[in-house]
Amino acid sequence: MKKYLLSFALACMSLTAFAQTDYEKIMTEKIAKIETCKTPEDFQTLANDFERIGSKESSQWLPPYYAAFSQIQKGRVMMRNGNMQELDGVASQAEKFLGLAQSLAGADNADIHLLKKMANSLRMMVNPAQRFMTDGARASEELNIAEKLDAANPRIALIKAEDIYFTPEQYGGSKTKGLELFKEALVKYNNYKLKTALDPNWGRSEAEYFISLPVEKTK
Amino acid sequence: MPFSKFFLQKGISCNIFDQEIRTMKIQGQKLLFLFFFLAFIMGYAQVKVSGRVAFKNKGISEVNVTLKDTYDGATTDGQGNFSFETSEKGSHILTFTHPKYETVEKSIVIENQSVAVNADLKEQISEIDAVVVSAGSIEASDKKRATALLTPIDIYTTAGADGQISSALNYLPGVQKVGESGGLFIRGGTGTESRIFMDGSLINNYFSNSIPGIAGRDQFNTSLFKGNIFSSGGYSALYGQALSGVLMLESVDLPDQSSYDIGISPIFLSAGFQKLGAKKDYSFGASVGYSILSLMQKALNFNTDFIDAPHGLNGDLNFRVKTKSGGFFKYYGMYNSNTMGVRSESLEPEYDFGLVRLKGKNTYHNLSFRQKFGKYLLNVGGSYSYNESDLNFSTETQERESDRTKLLTDGNYINFKAVLERKINKISAVRGGFELNNTNEKLNFEEVQKNYKDLISSAFVETDLGFSNALSAKIGVRAEHSSFLGKSNIAPRFALAYRLARDWTTSLAYGLFYQNPESKYINGPAELGFQNSQHFVFQVQRSSEGRSLRLEAFYKKYDQLIKTFNVIPGKEQNQQIQTALNNDGYGYAKGLELFWRDNKKTFKNIDYWVTYSFLDSKRDFLNYPVSLKPNFAAEHTLSAVVKRFIPEWKMGVNLSYTYAKGRPYYDIASTFDNGKAINYTRNEGRLKDYNALNFSINYLPNLGKKDAKAFTVLVLSVSNVLGSKNVYGYNFSVDGSRSSAVVPPVNTFVFVGAFISFGVDKTEDAINNNL
Repeated sequence: MKKYLLSFALACMSLTAFAQTDYEKIMTEKIAKIETCKTPEDFQTLANDFERIGSKESSQWLPPYYAAFSQIQKGRVMMRNGNMQELDGVASQAEKFLGLAQSLAGADNADIHLLKKMANSLRMMVNPAQRFMTDGARASEELNIAEKLDAANPRIALIKAEDIYFTPEQYGGSKTKGLELFKEALVKYNNYKLKTALDPNWGRSEAEYFISLPVEKTK
Repeated sequence: MPFSKFFLQKGISCNIFDQEIRTMKIQGQKLLFLFFFLAFIMGYAQVKVSGRVAFKNKGISEVNVTLKDTYDGATTDGQGNFSFETSEKGSHILTFTHPKYETVEKSIVIENQSVAVNADLKEQISEIDAVVVSAGSIEASDKKRATALLTPIDIYTTAGADGQISSALNYLPGVQKVGESGGLFIRGGTGTESRIFMDGSLINNYFSNSIPGIAGRDQFNTSLFKGNIFSSGGYSALYGQALSGVLMLESVDLPDQSSYDIGISPIFLSAGFQKLGAKKDYSFGASVGYSILSLMQKALNFNTDFIDAPHGLNGDLNFRVKTKSGGFFKYYGMYNSNTMGVRSESLEPEYDFGLVRLKGKNTYHNLSFRQKFGKYLLNVGGSYSYNESDLNFSTETQERESDRTKLLTDGNYINFKAVLERKINKISAVRGGFELNNTNEKLNFEEVQKNYKDLISSAFVETDLGFSNALSAKIGVRAEHSSFLGKSNIAPRFALAYRLARDWTTSLAYGLFYQNPESKYINGPAELGFQNSQHFVFQVQRSSEGRSLRLEAFYKKYDQLIKTFNVIPGKEQNQQIQTALNNDGYGYAKGLELFWRDNKKTFKNIDYWVTYSFLDSKRDFLNYPVSLKPNFAAEHTLSAVVKRFIPEWKMGVNLSYTYAKGRPYYDIASTFDNGKAINYTRNEGRLKDYNALNFSINYLPNLGKKDAKAFTVLVLSVSNVLGSKNVYGYNFSVDGSRSSAVVPPVNTFVFVGAFISFGVDKTEDAINNNL
């Protein structure tokens, strides 16, 4: 009898234990999806998924963080497609999630500041000539804060590398300098220790992609 | 029961089982365990939940469908359909959220069968998505984003605009190119039928003093204004005393950083600074400049013979303060003096030359305050200006100058305006307020002494009604009283905007507008009243990413325009004085305008816009003997602006072109028959068509150099590159038998200049303060 009860209890426990890590399981699954999303719609769906998780797990900062990240990625795809007019709306959605994430994780979270930088950069793209001094300045402010908080963070290095890489030379950008920074970022990715498996860990493949580009293409 | 205790002690949430175990009998325990175990597993069996989310029967994509407090849910596809599987059972709430729609919650019960749920969402009314009334107006501000027109950068990079706001407006629909005088000539209106406002307060003398036949220049620095709304008709009840249109300039708030700047060119020198407080809660600045045309006169072939080259001194002061309670004060004050003298061949056989000399002085001070109090927004502003124009007329015969006839005018103007606005839900608002405009002008011309005083008191109320994101209306009314006329008026204004499709909007505007007769025509006793015009404007607009297309049709009806006659028949026309007789004038203007702008969307780095205006107008006013096509209205006006920025060269290349069909001109004289003035046309004709191709380059050598201490802009601009010999009108001799063309001071003008700004970056400080 005791044996049965024990086995039942164990089965029950393992299942409920399994249920408890549902959060981790679903987060792991959704985080893996970031790499497969391509269209703005894909990213919106993913952002919705994270928002849904966030509304259940209201004490976790990662769901709103990833919801914001998905929104920003959506915006970046839209930007590449030349659809600048709606970037304000996308950025404000991302900022809504970032505010939530920051209230849970604290103001000293470098990864959240980095996303704030990216959201401001999206806003700037709506009208770069006019918004350079406002949204552009805010973006660099956030980047500086992030860097001061966590200098070893490879994602900060990646975004800095991107900025340099895509800025035309006459505006102070440089493909070769950008490439060097991508390499530095990759070193940081190799050395960066994650606190939990779900913590932000995106961007490595992007750094690798730019480094892998044939030399003539980088010109 | 030791097991339940075990569960409880471990704190594992198997309470249901725990209770079950407690009541369980020993017999059949095995089976029961198995049963519960299976039931527990079965709990994970999936049930499908699906449906469609729509707004007005149209599927909405990207709606977040969530089974509340679970991870289960889905996002709707392009048709609004969604579907997901869940292992949850029993009563649940399904939420539908989308940033542009109101959130909807639906209760559902999940058993073993699939659940179908459809939802209809309501549009969330928001300022961003709501359609705004745009009939008659073009707004340039950051709010309007990609379709923004004529921001300071746009103006500086428009070839032929000379960095002047009013000149840049010539490339917008509805504005007539009238080169011989300052002012905005809008849709068959005279230059004085349009008014210019700064932060809500009237600017009485926007243009500098000048000599008849030479247009005054903008006295206000373009970079002082962050945006503007230009209305060519059907404008808001907050503004009045303009029969044609208004230009509302919005001055900059706090600058982004402290800076020093200088400007050097053969025609001017200027220097200024802006200081931003450490906490970014106040700023102050000043600038001073001196301009002189004499150097360029030696280099270029001028049409106008300047006996005294135009030169002038100007300076301005400003401060902006944010109060602790969120209020914002802005002050701007300027002083401008200018001098010039012109000699032209006399049309009268007894003289060789006619000479005109000008000394002008102007000062303008504007103080405004705005603050939010909960749902209320208060805007208060006042301005004072003083303008003095001393004109000397003389003749020259065999190198001997005659005595000078002086025409001295000076004006004191005080304006005050207060507007209180209350927001009602998200996109509606009601605002009301009052305005006082006090004028005190003195004119001294030979034996004539004139003192003109008027106080115009106005009250207005207006409401923005947003019915949905697709439909909104603006209804307003304005009442005015003029102490000089001793009369009052009430003017209703109405506008409606409707969104036809995502990118297409249409709007309608109607308004009644009153304006006092111009004081320069009031030179004798006459029973006068307000002049008025009615506007009917219909607009269709398509705006998408970087592109905008605007089609506008209008009809404008003028009534009670003043009629005048020439006071002294024996005077040359450029010294001619007219006096108002009555309000028997009338007229109309109707037309069609097309505007297309493509900002770097079709061609990389190329921003261009094209404007065409058709105008049909006739009026009987001032000294016109009958109803005539006015001499300031061209039937067809075509303009194009192209700007290309070449990043590799850090250079912008800009071109602009204007064509205007020749305007009519008249030589009108008055005779007196039994003491009654009769006006008649002695000469009339049509000017040749106006053509000008302008070109400019701006080179930014420090662009992108982050460590550069200075930011330099070098400008080269050539107006009327092709050297078209444009004619603005004709002057006639006293007897009407001889005439001379009124032409621009110079056919082709070349400007070179360097603008250097030394920015003191505050970004570092801001970060240090925040950490």
